[in-house]
Amino acid sequence: MNHPGEAQLDAYLDGELAADDTREVEAHIAHCPECARFRDGRLELRAAIAARVPAFEAPDELRGRVRAALKAAARARTPYRLSLQGAWRPLALAASLGVVALGSWNLSLRHASRETLADDVLASHIRALMPSHLTDVLSSDQHTVKPWFNGRLDFSPPVYDFAQRGYPLLGGRLDYVDGRAVAALAYGRRQHRINVFLWPATRGPSDAPMTRDRQGYHLLHWTTADYTYWVVSDLGLPELGDFAGLLRQADSAAGAPE
Amino acid sequence: MDSSALTRFEAVVLPHLDAAYTLARYLTRNEHDAEDVVQDACLRALKYFDGFRGQEGTSARAWLLAIVRHTAYTRRRRHRADALATEFDEAQHSQAVADDHPEGELLRSAAKETLARALDRLAPEFREVIVLRELEGLSYKEISEVAGVPAGTVMSRLSRARTRLQEALREGGGDLT
Repeated sequence: MNHPGEAQLDAYLDGELAADDTREVEAHIAHCPECARFRDGRLELRAAIAARVPAFEAPDELRGRVRAALKAAARARTPYRLSLQGAWRPLALAASLGVVALGSWNLSLRHASRETLADDVLASHIRALMPSHLTDVLSSDQHTVKPWFNGRLDFSPPVYDFAQRGYPLLGGRLDYVDGRAVAALAYGRRQHRINVFLWPATRGPSDAPMTRDRQGYHLLHWTTADYTYWVVSDLGLPELGDFAGLLRQADSAAGAPE
Repeated sequence: MDSSALTRFEAVVLPHLDAAYTLARYLTRNEHDAEDVVQDACLRALKYFDGFRGQEGTSARAWLLAIVRHTAYTRRRRHRADALATEFDEAQHSQAVADDHPEGELLRSAAKETLARALDRLAPEFREVIVLRELEGLSYKEISEVAGVPAGTVMSRLSRARTRLQEALREGGGDLT
């Protein structure tokens, strides 16, 4: 028999060959010093890995974190899907203002919902600009900010730092928008503040961000497969759009889970 | 989701948390990132648990590790800009290794670090098959499920990864025995 290939010898040593092939390779090695040397080298390597490359134990702290996050996620799961609470509020608002729905009912409901949301988000942004209200966790390190949300939210928000692109992460905090706890991330651009609000998406992804202007602030809104995003700042629209682009790029690089 | 469903999930998935953390540690090469990856992966796993229960013949371990792997690579792509700046910075890497070990221990464990560092420097597709086979004890079939490649590819990658480790050790003057 010719020499078996290296991959085949490895498969033999891993016990992954069929019985016939195993017998054949075994017989070959018995009479072939070259293949026997190869085998000995691999057995040495295997022993060295076993001795020197550790398998790790998950730290207790991580175990606790995971269980807490799972519990929070499981609790949050059913209510998200069934609840229409987000939709009822703008409906009531529309009624109280005597707004007459034109065209598709559904469309106007969604539209109204977004307008109230925009107000909510802007109010949060302005609140955040008041002294000492900017952040609960003041850190430019995404590895500090992201874990801070653990146990405080029922989801684990993606946190990016764009310091190298001129939008340093300043920190994060919890906020309350649209009847639920949301993640708020603060970024800086020169003296300007950018607030990013996000929470798990309840409907499918949207295309390009929608823009709104209110009281001198710009708001951008879009939805990915995972999250609903609102970005608000007094920064000029081109730069804010640039920032939103970075965020969207980082997210789509992350890709959909499955 | 009711609490019994969560209990079922925990019973199936949490026994493999050490395996998940080990894979995440070797893929991210960083404790913080590994912890974040494991947590994100578990939340994803919860989300897709219904899908898993429908799949015949996949072990819970391989299923969870596939999600961990996906989460780690997703994160890696996300941080690619940062990573490019630091990943191949040999000086910094050596410093990080030195920081983890007091001087005396560093000398005593020089051989160990040679092997661990050779593994760290393998491309991820080679590193992961070594970890999955040698540390997690997965079969070729399970590795192929985790990595999403045919078993034949697993076989050749594993063989090349081992040869590279042996070469790296020889070049580095490391001794296997």
